Amino acid sequence: MDPKKILIAVDASENAKRAAAYVARVVGATPGFRVILLTLERPPERDLFKDDDSHRQACEARERGMLAAQDEIKHILTQGGVPAASIDAHYVASCKSPMAEGAEKCGLGQSIALEILGYAKEQGCGTVVVGRRGVSKAEEFLFGSVSSKIVHSAKNCTVWVIS
Amino acid sequence: MAERSVKELVAGLRPGYRLGRFGRVVDDTSQFMDIGYGDVLRLAGRHYLVFKDAMERRFGYVDAKFWVKKCLELETGERRIVKLVFHESFPLRVGDVSVLCFRSPAKEARVLDTVRGDERFMQGFTTRDAAGNLVRIIEMISGNSIENIVAANNMQHAGYFRDVFPSLLARFIVACRAIAWLHSKGERHGDVGRDHLFIEHKTGTMRWIDFDYAYETHENPFGMDIHGLGDILVFLAGKGVHTIQGMREAGTPRSLLATLTADDFSLVFGNRLVNLGKIFPYIPERLSRILRHFAAGAEVFYESVDELLDDLEPAAEAMRGEVRGDE
Repeated sequence: MDPKKILIAVDASENAKRAAAYVARVVGATPGFRVILLTLERPPERDLFKDDDSHRQACEARERGMLAAQDEIKHILTQGGVPAASIDAHYVASCKSPMAEGAEKCGLGQSIALEILGYAKEQGCGTVVVGRRGVSKAEEFLFGSVSSKIVHSAKNCTVWVIS
Repeated sequence: MAERSVKELVAGLRPGYRLGRFGRVVDDTSQFMDIGYGDVLRLAGRHYLVFKDAMERRFGYVDAKFWVKKCLELETGERRIVKLVFHESFPLRVGDVSVLCFRSPAKEARVLDTVRGDERFMQGFTTRDAAGNLVRIIEMISGNSIENIVAANNMQHAGYFRDVFPSLLARFIVACRAIAWLHSKGERHGDVGRDHLFIEHKTGTMRWIDFDYAYETHENPFGMDIHGLGDILVFLAGKGVHTIQGMREAGTPRSLLATLTADDFSLVFGNRLVNLGKIFPYIPERLSRILRHFAAGAEVFYESVDELLDDLEPAAEAMRGEVRGDE
């Protein structure tokens, strides 16, 4: 695992932008670093919609939002001095998404944290960066926390949790 | 053949049955507010005579569930609950946390299929009405919720804990295994609570009801169900909910109340005591340790029902014969 190969797990949240801005400050234009922006699709659950059409529309809207955020985060990194050629943006569709058909690879959505760590391992990333949502203890119990689970489950890599 | 009226249907299928009002035969249940006593729902080739809307009691209030009809299946004479389609979303408050909750007929239909034949869950089937609505037809459970059963018990806590709780705990463990199994199928109950766990009169079995709640989750899709199980366990072990105010009114010594800290209360409902061993010292430490996993002072949470069961099953085993009820 190469510590200079940094995986930033991003979504459309402010926490993800904060995480990217931090990486940009630390890495900047220093040669030898490689940054992977990983966006895992998290489609809204089908049960929350009356019919397939409204679900598909919501999934498409969320996908657009995630991809736009990924572009914005790439911009944050390049503005911070990270060369565009050192940044790879990856988008992994969810197997549960109605748009996942035909995708080479899709996420099972059981645990975002474990999928992030699995992806980091697969790509040989020695550093994993996530933003922290700042949830309460009760919320963490009820809904779980991606950053906490990454911290507890990570092996053979360094984890940066950006508050 | 001419359509039969309600009067003709009742006379033909339930001869001698007396009805105060003969309503209409309904094929399209979309307008569920207009369906009431004396109407007959025609679904899946059967006829369901409507008695009334189901009621829900929560926090001392009684709300009519207009989309849930208590019925008589005219062909068999069996009582049925018929759940009509109501796409409702509402913020569900769980302590200080709010989650946007959806009432999903499709989810409940799927879970009913998953649990078919498993007596640990309510049973029923789903059909579509003439307008394509997913209508769930549920078998009535002759029994009562554990909330009502525990509330109706007049024993002192020590006697209850010694004589009643072990049997309830053994059955609750079976109910927990049922939820673990449901999770293994990728499904959530969605509204695990003491009003949704019934004890059937005939068999004494605990059975889960109502699977239509759905909500967006983050990292742990089963956390809300696990919280619900913890809440029920505390309720069963404590023979009710214990708040500071309730304990004062019950005459709990001030010196004892003074030992309670915020860490002893529920992580989610900050006014409910979870560390029950402090007021009921005969509760075995092994069980108390499990209860404290649901307290504000918990350092580690249960992330799966299996983890809870790994602790609870040996604790229950150890309690058998150990509970002496020292008063």
